[in-house]
Amino acid sequence: MSLNPYLPSLATIIETFDETPDVKTFRVVLKDEAAMRAFRFEPGQVAQLSVFGTGESTFVICSPPTRMDFLQFSVMRVGELTHRLHTLKEGDPIGLRGPLGNHFDYESMKGKDIVFIGGGLGLAPLRTLLLFMLDNRADYGNITLIYGGRTPEHLCFKGELAEWAARGDMRVELTVDNPDKSWSHRVGVVPAVLTDLAVSPENAVAVTCGPPIMIRFTIQALEKLGFTDEQIVTTLERRMKCGVGLCGRCNIGGKFVCVDGPVFTQAQLKELPQEF
Amino acid sequence: MVARFLANSALADTAAAWARDFRLLAPVREGQAVVYRAWAKDMHPFLGRPPTCSAKEALLPQTENLLTYTYRKDQADLTRTEVFVAEPLPPEPTLLLGARPCDARGRKLLDRVFLERGVEDPLYAAKRRNTLFVTGACERMENTCFCHWTGGGPTSEEGSDVLLFAVGADGGGYVAKALTPEGERLLDKLPEASRAAQEELAAKLASPPSQAVPGPAPDLSAAPERFLKLFGNMDFWMDESARCLSCGVCTYLCPACSCFNITDENSGMKGKRLRTWDTCMSALYTLEGSGHNPRVSRAHRLRNRVGHKFCYHPQEFPKDAGAQPEFSCTGCGRCIKSCPVSVDIRRVVLDLMEKGDAS
Repeated sequence: MSLNPYLPSLATIIETFDETPDVKTFRVVLKDEAAMRAFRFEPGQVAQLSVFGTGESTFVICSPPTRMDFLQFSVMRVGELTHRLHTLKEGDPIGLRGPLGNHFDYESMKGKDIVFIGGGLGLAPLRTLLLFMLDNRADYGNITLIYGGRTPEHLCFKGELAEWAARGDMRVELTVDNPDKSWSHRVGVVPAVLTDLAVSPENAVAVTCGPPIMIRFTIQALEKLGFTDEQIVTTLERRMKCGVGLCGRCNIGGKFVCVDGPVFTQAQLKELPQEF
Repeated sequence: MVARFLANSALADTAAAWARDFRLLAPVREGQAVVYRAWAKDMHPFLGRPPTCSAKEALLPQTENLLTYTYRKDQADLTRTEVFVAEPLPPEPTLLLGARPCDARGRKLLDRVFLERGVEDPLYAAKRRNTLFVTGACERMENTCFCHWTGGGPTSEEGSDVLLFAVGADGGGYVAKALTPEGERLLDKLPEASRAAQEELAAKLASPPSQAVPGPAPDLSAAPERFLKLFGNMDFWMDESARCLSCGVCTYLCPACSCFNITDENSGMKGKRLRTWDTCMSALYTLEGSGHNPRVSRAHRLRNRVGHKFCYHPQEFPKDAGAQPEFSCTGCGRCIKSCPVSVDIRRVVLDLMEKGDAS
């Protein structure tokens, strides 16, 4: 293979399943077995998935590098490419370019309490880091996940949520805006739950991802709890094409989300022109 | 290096000779416009005024192939389809005739993005390595020109392989000055310029083209800071962008604008992945699948265009303290000349300098 950064590797979908009515998970392997064995990435990195003839788009690799049987992507059906992706089945070929972007600084988080705060499909990048930490459990302090969605049906990774809650070595707090009769967890928006739990900033790092409005109020809630800008980590989304810092569109000021991100601390974001 | 002479009467034959060794792109008149076209027999290169389009087409074509793909039935399992992907062929050696010094300087700004930012773009790099620029020095500045604001000038040599200076001597033509070894080879069949032609050129260079029309260059060294000061002032950006139509012609004609889109064009079982020019002036440029758009208005988008050229680029590629910042703008003025509503980037930058100082 050449060093052409636009040339995807060929990959095969080995499994798909629905997470919610509009989110589907894809498990893929590179067609070249040696390339798959050699594939290295870090938690938080993204890849471009191609459906040749429709285009490509950026998705976080939501399985951790500690579990390399496949690469997992969870995709919401919103546009042309994702509609097309949702029609693909086990055995179908796709293209994969990656890994792209920076990653969560899990080294500096060692020994600290970790608070994951996710909304909707925003749990996908957090899942990568969470599983990575669970696979290296002794390296980290208390782990808390606060996760919310519009309705119980809109929560992703439902089976795992129950598994994580049952583990005993992490805390899981679930919330929805609109409960149904079977819902036995919290009701309300994620930032309110965060405030309610009064999560301590002492030796802690908060890692958050979700819709822009949730992120905004989550960061406000974290600041009120005493989290500093360096203790708040988020991962951003932008429309992307090239994924390698050239096509231009994902800039925030002089930084490109595709290469300088997607992971930023709140301290780094405050340095940038405020264009979110 | 010996100065050569390219007579007006020899221009077409010389171009034809170059076209045997290169894919030659030459400026020709088409209606009101001067556009670059691939060399064809009986073409009349026109060097009389700056081409309407910038020269970036030679290095970053409006549309180019990133890859081709083909779907084929898996003969071992006819329920399945496989996909095969191929890279494009390497580019032909290219010679671009009739760029202006502002265009040639644009090459350096494209290099910044495609060669120096991080990942080297292999398609651009291949073209950059085998493309020569035979540039026409400007005899005068038009009222949209401001190359002297951004470190250039009507006879700037930067980025060219050959610079042509128009002279009236010897029946009219160009004194041709080679600036690179490749440029020198292009000229080796041309006669040496006569003493009369060289003296005429020396006299012209001694009193360079008048900058009276565009006026003296303002000091823009504080532009990046002034921009950041005004970043959040949406009233300022609403005023500056009030007339803008978001048509994007400013970015398409710009020698330094390099943003691109990637799309697939499908035809039956095969197709191409294409790279095309894109424009940050379009709302679609940043529109996300969710409907969220970080640059929802023309004000946001004009701010990004000006900010990239006069703040983000100089911050990304800093100069020594005290030196003039490198802007992602060569002052060619095409964005002013071709803007249907006459948005003038000089005016925006001068307003930045003034209001960013006061606020």
